[in-house]
Amino acid sequence: MKMMKLIEIRDLPEMFASIGRVMTEKADRLGELDALMGDGDLGLTMKKGFSAMPDILVNLNEADIGRQLMKAGMKMASLVPSTMGTLMSSGIMSGGKALEGKQSIDAAGYSAFLEAFCEGVTRRGKCARGDRTLLDALGPASDSVKDLVTFNPGVTLPEVAETAFRAAEAGVEATKAMKPKFGKAAVHSAAAEGNPDQGATAAMFLLQGIKDYIKSR
Amino acid sequence: MKKIINKPENYTDDMLKGIYSAHGDKVKYVAEDLRCYCVADKVPGKVAIITGGGTGHLPLFLGYVGEGLLDGCGVGGVFQSPSAEQIYEVSREVEAGAGILYLYGNYTGDIMNFDMAAEMCNMDGIETRSIVGADDVNSGAPEIRRGVAGIFFMYKCAGARAAQMASLDEVLAAAGKAKENTRTVGFALTPCVIPELGHANFSLAEDEMAMGMGIHGEPGIWNGPIKSASEIAAESVDTLLGDMPLAAGSEVAVLINGLGATSIEELYILSGCVSDIMADKGIKIYRTFVGEYATSMEMMGASISICKLDSEMKELLDAPAYTPFYAQR
Repeated sequence: MKMMKLIEIRDLPEMFASIGRVMTEKADRLGELDALMGDGDLGLTMKKGFSAMPDILVNLNEADIGRQLMKAGMKMASLVPSTMGTLMSSGIMSGGKALEGKQSIDAAGYSAFLEAFCEGVTRRGKCARGDRTLLDALGPASDSVKDLVTFNPGVTLPEVAETAFRAAEAGVEATKAMKPKFGKAAVHSAAAEGNPDQGATAAMFLLQGIKDYIKSR
Repeated sequence: MKKIINKPENYTDDMLKGIYSAHGDKVKYVAEDLRCYCVADKVPGKVAIITGGGTGHLPLFLGYVGEGLLDGCGVGGVFQSPSAEQIYEVSREVEAGAGILYLYGNYTGDIMNFDMAAEMCNMDGIETRSIVGADDVNSGAPEIRRGVAGIFFMYKCAGARAAQMASLDEVLAAAGKAKENTRTVGFALTPCVIPELGHANFSLAEDEMAMGMGIHGEPGIWNGPIKSASEIAAESVDTLLGDMPLAAGSEVAVLINGLGATSIEELYILSGCVSDIMADKGIKIYRTFVGEYATSMEMMGASISICKLDSEMKELLDAPAYTPFYAQR
């Protein structure tokens, strides 16, 4: 059976198309969760931002995969200037920076990408784990993938993508018990109880889109 | 809404087209984006200073792009941040081999976008530093204060220092010194209308004023019956000096800024009152600036800024500057 070993620059548009498809399918779900706390436009924002990425990427011609991701992230930020749009874009940019000089992403590269993605979100959003944000899905995903590539150097790209998604899923589940600290969500603290955080949920869908793409190849 | 416009959604871009057609010899745009506003001719080897922020505050922000002041500006929609990409494109254009100082107001959206642009520049090997204006005393603790008209002193000092061909860190230090020594108090008498909204988002009664209101209509510290110019000046100076005590004999620059719809005559009435109060306190006014420096479209109201000076800052304030919106000999 064929298996994807590397994500190359030319694969990025299709990978983001896959994320865009998940965001489009789940737009209503994200909208519902967001409406409990804020203005309910999260589904539309994520759908718009990620669905635009394939076109953005096709029109870029950077020398390596890291710069390609950084430039694309910056352009996505212009398109979806909301808080979550900016945080996702910052994550992509920061993740890209960790891959500067590389032509492709392997299992270890995916781990480096996720770790830097989290750092980018932390820096831009000034948030920490446990604050009920996207970091509560991305953080566990990054940790579990890092463990996997550290202790099992032979691990494959589909395996790390699956692991990241599963860890994010568990992370999202855990946000149901967390209290929001930021933005409008903090004002609607009571509505948060028992529901997963919408940002964490969006991050889980991001990792789902990547996983679906890698496993389809 | 009563405005001389075409379509509300074109407010910013139509304004920019007008500026480029009037002042095309001094400024230009890059990346085929009107909102990427740059000096027409950059000075090789000079630190580039870039600002940015929402439309609706002219001459802030883009009006300070020119000789002796700034080199570029990311222009956002009305009261909105420019994008990271726009700031990055301006940066690529005006960078002249000595690095870039990002100097803008303390607003969350602007910080995120300037930080993102800085990351992109750093990736390209362009050195950047950032500093935000945060002079509005009534908007909270020093680190969360909004940036308002007092940013003019940061522009002026940093711009003059850059024109002397100082290093990036020296230009940053000049901006930092102006920041440390500048405080502003503002007050509004009427709201302004965001074109795409079509109506004011708050109201003040005919006889009411709002002390401490921000330049986007952020709530102030009290709303109440309008006071006389000398009472307003006295309360404002008390607040300013309460936050930055000045001993008798200190020297300051004073900026009396109109918010858009208050007459220049009224600004001079206010300026005279501030001058009297300072004289009573034995504080010497080295230089007074009166006019529109940071507006809120057609909001009625004003702000008073003071900047404590030393000999270095006096020299920087006195240096010539020339832009389509600001001229000083």
